[in-house]
Amino acid sequence: MAHVVLRDLVKTYGGFKAVNDVSLTVNDGEFVALVGPSGCGKTTTLNLVAGLIPVTSGDIVIGDRVVNDLDPKDRDIAMVFQNYALYPQKSVYKNLAFPLQMRKLPRDEIDRKVKEAARVLDMTHLLERKPRELSGGQQQRVALGRALVRDPAVFLMDEPLSNLDAKLRVQMRSEIKRFHQDLKATIIYVTHDQLEAVTMADKMAVMNGGYLLQYDSPAQVFAHPVNMFVASFIGSPAMSLVPLEASTANGNTVLTGAEGWSLELSPLNARKVASATSRKVVLGARHSTIRLHKSAVPGSVPAKAYTVEPTGDVTFVQALLSGAIVNISVSPNISVAPDEQIWLEFDQERLHLFDGETELALKAG
Amino acid sequence: MSTIAETVPQRPTRRRMRVDGWRWAGRIFLVFMLLYTALPMIWMLITSIKSGFAAMQFPPQWWPDEPTLASYQKLLDPQNSVGQDFLRFFWNSLYVSTVTTILSVIVAVPAAYAFSRFRFPGRNFLFFTVLLRNMFPAVIFLVPLFILMRAIGLVNTHGSLILTYLTFGLPLAIWLLKGFYDNIPVQLEQAARIDGATRFQAFILIVMPLSTPGIIATAIYSFIGAWNEYIYAYTFLSKNEQLTLPVGIQRFFSENTTDFPGLMAASFMMSVPVVVLFLLLQRYFVRALTEGAVKH
Repeated sequence: MAHVVLRDLVKTYGGFKAVNDVSLTVNDGEFVALVGPSGCGKTTTLNLVAGLIPVTSGDIVIGDRVVNDLDPKDRDIAMVFQNYALYPQKSVYKNLAFPLQMRKLPRDEIDRKVKEAARVLDMTHLLERKPRELSGGQQQRVALGRALVRDPAVFLMDEPLSNLDAKLRVQMRSEIKRFHQDLKATIIYVTHDQLEAVTMADKMAVMNGGYLLQYDSPAQVFAHPVNMFVASFIGSPAMSLVPLEASTANGNTVLTGAEGWSLELSPLNARKVASATSRKVVLGARHSTIRLHKSAVPGSVPAKAYTVEPTGDVTFVQALLSGAIVNISVSPNISVAPDEQIWLEFDQERLHLFDGETELALKAG
Repeated sequence: MSTIAETVPQRPTRRRMRVDGWRWAGRIFLVFMLLYTALPMIWMLITSIKSGFAAMQFPPQWWPDEPTLASYQKLLDPQNSVGQDFLRFFWNSLYVSTVTTILSVIVAVPAAYAFSRFRFPGRNFLFFTVLLRNMFPAVIFLVPLFILMRAIGLVNTHGSLILTYLTFGLPLAIWLLKGFYDNIPVQLEQAARIDGATRFQAFILIVMPLSTPGIIATAIYSFIGAWNEYIYAYTFLSKNEQLTLPVGIQRFFSENTTDFPGLMAASFMMSVPVVVLFLLLQRYFVRALTEGAVKH
């Protein structure tokens, strides 16, 4: 296993910058998820690491070698593709043996390693089948096996679970996580599904528009998103973002909504708002940090219920507040009707505040 | 209740009748098409086993009174001048068609792969010019090509035909194969390259085997095109010992009186290689032409 360093990585196609000055370090044995919406540059970044496309500028280091100019075959990596990319004309056995044959290993050693990988992944009985005779989950497992059989320095995974149905995806998610724990493997994992990133990765790199926005542990990214994009992308349902107006009255900082109500901020939050570039401030709150009241209580603000979605364990209420939609989760025994007048109370300690102009998270000065 | 019960069954009956009417029209049409295509071939076979006299009779003998294989024996007999000529023409055709086929596969495979996988300047323009040739009838190029062949001294050589058939056959061959490569996921090659293959090895070990049906289809297409071609062979070649079958048959049999059974026997034997080739490899051909039509 080895560590991977990306240094000021840039990839341009004509005038289009697909990857923009991305720098990050993946430590030995770490599971890093590159996450972002489609077209954010995460797959391009992975392909750059794999060597499938040439870098425009910057460095890629695997282990202690700069691999910029090395062929994919010389980078000591293994990759799992979204469509698995199993060789359709070869049996499972030959699919697993191919990377070893290309490295000219002796036949008995190939046989031993293939059988070992098949045993680990519990697919010994599938060795003689052709990929088209396997289910999606089995194909996915063969793809993992083909990566694992080589014992590479780094595993690259490009949305390996996206083609599976929901139930299998959850199951394979824990298998890959287990795979990482057992092998202490260095894994770079690309996904557009923030839930996969949050549940599996040691660290996640949130990308958008070719830029790396935030690189930290899922808990940190979840608790301290650097800007509004990260805040709304990570977490489900998404963090609610409410555009408000900041003002100071009698030494207290208040946020005023479009409906005319105002919310007095705690001293810490007031200090954050003081660092904003303008009076426009965006309040962010996750569904579980908002309390719903049926009548006005001190510190609450009036809103109107919009839709109510019972899911069994918890009921999600969407409410209109200052022109934005706010998600609130409530206990299923609280009944709320659409268009009903409700009051929302924000947990000031877990409130997020963003600069309305720069969209960056506000910090206490 | 009772009125509904009475009216409901009527509808499907009327519908079925209308559908049946169309179905029968379709069947009749297909039978007609079958006769239209098969009858000339059957007549060719029947005539080829008649005697010269029986072939000229009117009203015709629907089945010969005395079937004979004499025409075939004559054509395949190397002692006889007719047989010598026929066998030589057959060999010439086989030579020209085989070389054309091999060369067109050798050129079309990398060309199609490049058009499918690489983004190079002028790619679309080149691909369009490749197809442009097919928008004109082949006859248009007859005189210019003849002048060209004369200038480079290829008139009366098989090389002139091979070169011409290549230029005519390659566009469709490249186009057909490109469709094939387009359908092979690029991730397969990427996987192979990560698994330790060079780009060339990935092509040879992974992509080539997957495109075999396309290559076979391309080969059949080139072979049949070259085998059946008449007008260029007629124009470029004048020496008797070089003629290919389509030209040879025609020249040979119309010099004196036309020997219809002999002509038909020769035509039949000329169609044998094509039919055999097609029957053996037709499943690849069908797969190649329908590739990508459905998800798989």
